[in-house]
Amino acid sequence: MEATSRTCLKDIFGDRFKDSPEDRLCYAYDATGKEFLPDAVAYPVDAEEVRQAILLANERRFPVIPRGAGSGFSGGCLPVRGGLVLSTERMNRVLSIDPANLLAVVEPGVVTETLKEEARRFSLFYPPDPASMKFGTIGGNIAECAGGMSAVKYGVTRDYVLGLEAVLGSGEMIRTGVSTAKGVVGYDLTRMLVGSEGTLGFVTRATLRLLPLPESTGTLLALFRDNGEASRAVAGIVEARITPSAMELMDRSAIDCVRRVVALDLPEETGCALLVEVDGAPPSVASELEGVEMALRAYGAIEVRRATDGPGRERLWKLRRSISPALRKIAPVKLNEDIVVPRSALPEMMAFLSELAARERLTIVNFGHAGDGNIHVNVMISGTDSDERRRADAAVETIFRKTVDLGGTISGEHGVGISKAPFFEMEVGPLGVSVMKRLKAAFDPNGILNPGKIWLEESAVTR
Amino acid sequence: MIDRELAEKIAACVKCGSCRAVCTLYPERRTEVNVARGKIALLESAMAGEVGLPACGAIPLGEERDAAVREALADCLLCGRCERNCPNQVAVEEILVAGRTRFADKLGLPVWKRILFDEVLPSARALNAVRAAGNAAQHLLRKMPTESGLHYRFPDVAGLHGRTLPALPPIGFVASLGKDEARAGEVMLFPGCVFDLVMPEIGRDSYETLKAAWGEVTVSRDAACCGLPALASGDRAGAMKAISKNLVAMRAAAPRSIVFPCGSCLKMFRRDLLNVIPTDHPLRDAAEWVAERCVDYATSILDSPLVRILVPAPAAFGAGSVGWHDPCHLSGTLGRGEAGRELLERAVGRGFGEMKGTDRCCGYGGTFNARDYPTSARIGENKISLAIQGGTSTIVTACSGCILQLRDMAARVSRQTRVRHLAQVVRGLLPA
Ligand SMILES: Cc1cc2nc3c(=O)[nH]c(=O)nc-3n(C[C@H](O)[C@H](O)[C@H](O)COP(=O)(O)OP(=O)(O)OC[C@H]3O[C@@H](n4cnc5c(N)ncnc54)[C@H](O)[C@@H]3O)c2cc1C
Ligand code: SF4
Ligand code: SF4
Ligand code: SF4
Repeated sequence: MEATSRTCLKDIFGDRFKDSPEDRLCYAYDATGKEFLPDAVAYPVDAEEVRQAILLANERRFPVIPRGAGSGFSGGCLPVRGGLVLSTERMNRVLSIDPANLLAVVEPGVVTETLKEEARRFSLFYPPDPASMKFGTIGGNIAECAGGMSAVKYGVTRDYVLGLEAVLGSGEMIRTGVSTAKGVVGYDLTRMLVGSEGTLGFVTRATLRLLPLPESTGTLLALFRDNGEASRAVAGIVEARITPSAMELMDRSAIDCVRRVVALDLPEETGCALLVEVDGAPPSVASELEGVEMALRAYGAIEVRRATDGPGRERLWKLRRSISPALRKIAPVKLNEDIVVPRSALPEMMAFLSELAARERLTIVNFGHAGDGNIHVNVMISGTDSDERRRADAAVETIFRKTVDLGGTISGEHGVGISKAPFFEMEVGPLGVSVMKRLKAAFDPNGILNPGKIWLEESAVTR
Repeated sequence: MIDRELAEKIAACVKCGSCRAVCTLYPERRTEVNVARGKIALLESAMAGEVGLPACGAIPLGEERDAAVREALADCLLCGRCERNCPNQVAVEEILVAGRTRFADKLGLPVWKRILFDEVLPSARALNAVRAAGNAAQHLLRKMPTESGLHYRFPDVAGLHGRTLPALPPIGFVASLGKDEARAGEVMLFPGCVFDLVMPEIGRDSYETLKAAWGEVTVSRDAACCGLPALASGDRAGAMKAISKNLVAMRAAAPRSIVFPCGSCLKMFRRDLLNVIPTDHPLRDAAEWVAERCVDYATSILDSPLVRILVPAPAAFGAGSVGWHDPCHLSGTLGRGEAGRELLERAVGRGFGEMKGTDRCCGYGGTFNARDYPTSARIGENKISLAIQGGTSTIVTACSGCILQLRDMAARVSRQTRVRHLAQVVRGLLPA
């Protein structure tokens, strides 16, 4: 970045513009374990500052990288070509909660959990619940179209974004969508921006849909002998016309992995576990719990545990919540993928993953949002053995290919970013890539916003 | 910690960002440099040239850079919340302290810290001299009689920001012990320098209640500071000096248990001690012996016969008006908060109510309070306001730093809020 650009940015941001090595270094990483140094960081407090920075970037041709909490798993906020990181950390106000119209208006840097808490004060509910919700931001959630445990019943971030205010890559400010329950005027630019990984526009404000807060929640933990029984039970529950608010599967590899670090009171023969949660009015929760339990037993559950109060439910969640921390203890590096297959293909995919692990002599730990066919596949790398690394990388590619063959997608929630860019075309095809590039040009003619992401290509932008 | 070990500890951080959710300081600063993840990344990079960690853009070494990283590492309350919440169990506190030590060794400490850590804090004599000098000089300040004893308010100039501190007493607690007091007992009391010299009434209350619980109680005549301020500032040598004196005294007294009314001192002896004293050090055996015998005040009272005869005084407090503040080191790091709560509940009966924001850090953070008083005060004021909102009017705790801070904050926010040590509450229930 040239000196003139720096001077202009200082004029816009004052002491909220930083370019010391320390400040740059603290914006060089996210949760992927990769690092790229930006040239500078700035903390806008309003849309106007964002607009000025992006206009300047167009004039002087430097990249602008939107950043929320830097908790992304695909490198979306990494400045791969340097440039200016624009952090939303200081745009963090919940501007309004409107109980009459079930709406919230927020700035992009609001932490998801904060919005959930604010909504709860009005007995309202913002359903998306990525596991990172205590620190990840709404802006990041929108850009990645984050999902979570409750996606099986409530859907993902996309389903709650009604309208956006954004500064496009061109520096133009745009308002998209509606503040009403429905609206069909023109192309759905809101949905274009959701999931666009910060490459089309910088979201400066979002109008989000809220729901009435469910009155109660009940949780079941079912233990099975193997993956097959458990994944068939998932289908069984859906066929029983019950929509749980969470349905999490943990396979034998995941359970074994937790067993190695924390004591679990599970029967020896447990080879797979399914955690099911239902919510709603107390009578419907009670009857749905009955229905789910029947289905679980019908598909061979050796044991079903049930809880409706806070501490009891937390005990049932312990196994699920222990997986991620336990992973780190069994191997220092994990290749963490988030494939989705059609629910009906879940048993086949699970079987394929076990075979692949055995064949390639790899530890592959699988768990995830079974209710929507979303599996977190973790290929564990135990050391610096380069052959193991090679086999692991090859396994990931094989898994992606199988996923696409089964009619699935290579990312259910983490996005493409830089991690999955090499496989992007595998899923969307050359024409898909070409149309998307044309769309990108319409929003961001100079390729200013977040270059080097989603697809592999040399950017016209230099640092 | 040798660099390789430190590098391994650092490598355990996967930069997930979970620490942002709980950091005491982050909401005040809103930049990555202020969360554990950022500080760890900086230290990692500063070390890159030396131990060859893979890091993008290692910060070129040099005094200016070193100073900047040192500042970042210093800007932290060491409250440990990040560490307790880290899904990967990264030893954040150890890493940050190791980083501070590294820079203290490399760049040296400011002169005032050097004198304080090496000469004053490790010496009971010097500490008493400072107390006496302060006691003589403080009439220049504005008196602030508050419920919790006489306090002075400092003028709002020269970085003093109108803070309130307890009046320094004419005589410290240990010095006030009569010739025949504090003779060899099975239980030893380590009052810590604050409860000895700044709030001797709490030292005295701890002593009297422990005596009621256990009979004769030993107190070392030349006990000094626990060494935590020096250690936290990266002055290992200063910390060693303080620790050695204490260890020798404790080992010589050979008590069954050593009781700490201050959570931070306890943390120093139970947890940090064994990290600071190398396995081949001549004092290592003594350190292990001592570390095993250290308990918090509440646990000691709960284990004693006294607890059975404590009759709660419900009339003295409104229902649910007495709350417990979880000191970060006592409750979080050492996991002994429940004992404090239990003792308090037994002592005040239905006066006890779970305090709103009970486990939020008070914002003191040792040297952080001196480093950035306005921020420290903002965190503390929020804490008091939250407690008031939840109906708590008396805050009880068991950490010297927390009491200094909470009293200062109460003086800023609401003079009606009382801040007391557990021992003060328990002593109020002893038969006269
Ligand atoms: C422990 C952990 C658990 C996780 N669990 C889940 C999960 O359950 N489900 C899930 O979906 N993800 C999960 N993630 C991934 C990650 O948290 C999400 O992708 C999240 O949405 C990222 O938000 P962020 O604020 O950290 O964004 P960042 O990582 O900072 O950025 C992510 C992307 O958003 C863009 N962006 C950020 N703000 C804006 C803006 N205002 N306008 C335009 N673009 C913007 C960035 O350029 C980047 O491309 C998890 C991550 C971690 C570390
Ligand atoms: S929570 Fe732990 S692993 Fe995650 S970034 Fe913070 S210190 Fe690192
Ligand atoms: S010790 Fe406390 S203040 Fe320091 S980084 Fe951790 S949570 Fe933040
Ligand atoms: S003074 Fe108490 S609450 Fe404050 S940082 Fe220290 S231990 Fe934590």
